[in-house]
Amino acid sequence: MTGYRLKLTAPLEARLDFSGVTPAALAGLGLDGVARKEVLLGTRRVLLGDLFEVSEAASEALVVSGDPRLDFVAADLADGEILVEGPVGVLAGARMSGGRLVVRGDAGESLAAGLTGGRIEVSGAAGARLGCALPGERLGMRGGMVSVAGDVGAGLGERLRGGLVLVGGNAGAGAANDLIAGTIAVAGRLGPDAGRGMRRGTLILAQTPEPPAPGFVDTGSHDLVALLLLARRVPALADLFGGGLSGRAQRLAGNRLVGGEGEILLLQ
Amino acid sequence: MILNGVEIRESFAEAFPMAGTRLIITADTPRWARTAAASMTGFATSVIGCGCEAAIERELAPSETPDGRPGVSVLIFAMSLKDLKKVVPLRVGQCVLTSPTSACYAGLEGGPAIPLGRALRYFADGHQMAKKIGDQRIWRVPVMEGEFVCDEISGSVTSAVGGGNFLILARSRAAALAAAEAAVDAMGQVEGAVMPFPGGVVRSGSKVGSKYAGLIASTNDAYCPTLRGVVPSALPPEVGSVMEIVIDGLGEKEVADSMRAGIAAVCELGADAGVVAIDAGNYGGNLGPFHFKLRELMTSAGGTASSGDLA
Repeated sequence: MTGYRLKLTAPLEARLDFSGVTPAALAGLGLDGVARKEVLLGTRRVLLGDLFEVSEAASEALVVSGDPRLDFVAADLADGEILVEGPVGVLAGARMSGGRLVVRGDAGESLAAGLTGGRIEVSGAAGARLGCALPGERLGMRGGMVSVAGDVGAGLGERLRGGLVLVGGNAGAGAANDLIAGTIAVAGRLGPDAGRGMRRGTLILAQTPEPPAPGFVDTGSHDLVALLLLARRVPALADLFGGGLSGRAQRLAGNRLVGGEGEILLLQ
Repeated sequence: MILNGVEIRESFAEAFPMAGTRLIITADTPRWARTAAASMTGFATSVIGCGCEAAIERELAPSETPDGRPGVSVLIFAMSLKDLKKVVPLRVGQCVLTSPTSACYAGLEGGPAIPLGRALRYFADGHQMAKKIGDQRIWRVPVMEGEFVCDEISGSVTSAVGGGNFLILARSRAAALAAAEAAVDAMGQVEGAVMPFPGGVVRSGSKVGSKYAGLIASTNDAYCPTLRGVVPSALPPEVGSVMEIVIDGLGEKEVADSMRAGIAAVCELGADAGVVAIDAGNYGGNLGPFHFKLRELMTSAGGTASSGDLA
């Protein structure tokens, strides 16, 4: 099977709901079939062919031109790969359960909301509430892996329940709020008020963060075998911190105000 | 068949199906990885009295272990999956969790799950921490020394083979011991098989049953040199001592490879070193489904035992 390339003929004039446009959904449709697929542009139903020039791609991946109004990219993706050349809008990778989304650009708000599996790689920055819960849902991201090379906005990992988030740049205020479980690693600086209502889970930091939310206790510095193990089982985590972890970290436990036993590990 | 003056007797080792798994034990130093592994595989020579059979498979360099520390891989076998699921968390809990700086990881993937952290996490009394990476979950158990880290489960195989064996018949005790040591050294190179008896060697092979009611095994009198003439003996006059090597493996091939390596090492010493013959222990072929025929084993380089002789 060969994939398709969808090249925008002009910048989007309204928000485009790209959910349902996945390699599996397009498989076997042919160039004409792909061009005739309906999508929602603002409140209008339009055909992919009205907005994109459709051609066959050399790889099996679905290759799409990016646009900051291109929303719900890779939503519900279960397998296959989507490669976006440029930015994406909000809710990229929402409810994704497998496969891979690569964004060569920035991602909007609520990236990886409700993610349960698969991998998302963003070469630029990402907006607020990465890994959050979808509207009406109780739990945020539950599995899979997200890596953002640049900065991320406020509310990183809100109600995160599982999986791994790697942030190469800085993270905004209020990260890990109401976090239930899972792992977030930030190579840059973490903004203030992190970990409000945090139950379990781990925030791994390389730089001293702004003061976290009240309720964290300093348990001192420790040599943690678990960090050595993570560094080897998740090479991307080791790479985020320059290729390896010493295993030594200061451990802040919390949030004790809600009886939580999560942790902020400040690498040393 | 005679190899370097050593007779390979027309006999076979009779072996049994077992459930088995491999664990990787690491520690801050090789000494403490070995200590934890030795403790965990202690008192595990025979299922008859120990409930399982276990031994160290090999030492691992830091680059080979999950956490980059020195390690040891161990194999552990039981007669059933149910037994294995019982003995592994018991042994890891008593001997590895307690051992300074240790951690314990799955050494096999797939197959029925053998609980590690799944059972041991409760020691943390609610302070246990799980972390799931991909399909693997690890547990961190706070302990006085720091943290005990282990995988939630290990994979296992139910196609393991236990009770592969061969006997070294030698002119003297010293010759038998030297030959057994050479065999164990050679067999240590075979991955996926271990020799669960002390140092890999059994000096007291047994036969089934006894004159005493309730004793299911007793000394193999036909091979006791001091009973020659008292009982129907399997020993020619020149044999002064017999030692046995018992092998458990994750599969039939591993046991066959291990036996072949061991017998070859003994034969390399040869008659000049006081080795008279190689024999094997069996029960007439009616109890165990795996028959490792010595002569076939030593003829067919790379071949396996003649299984399929299901009794």
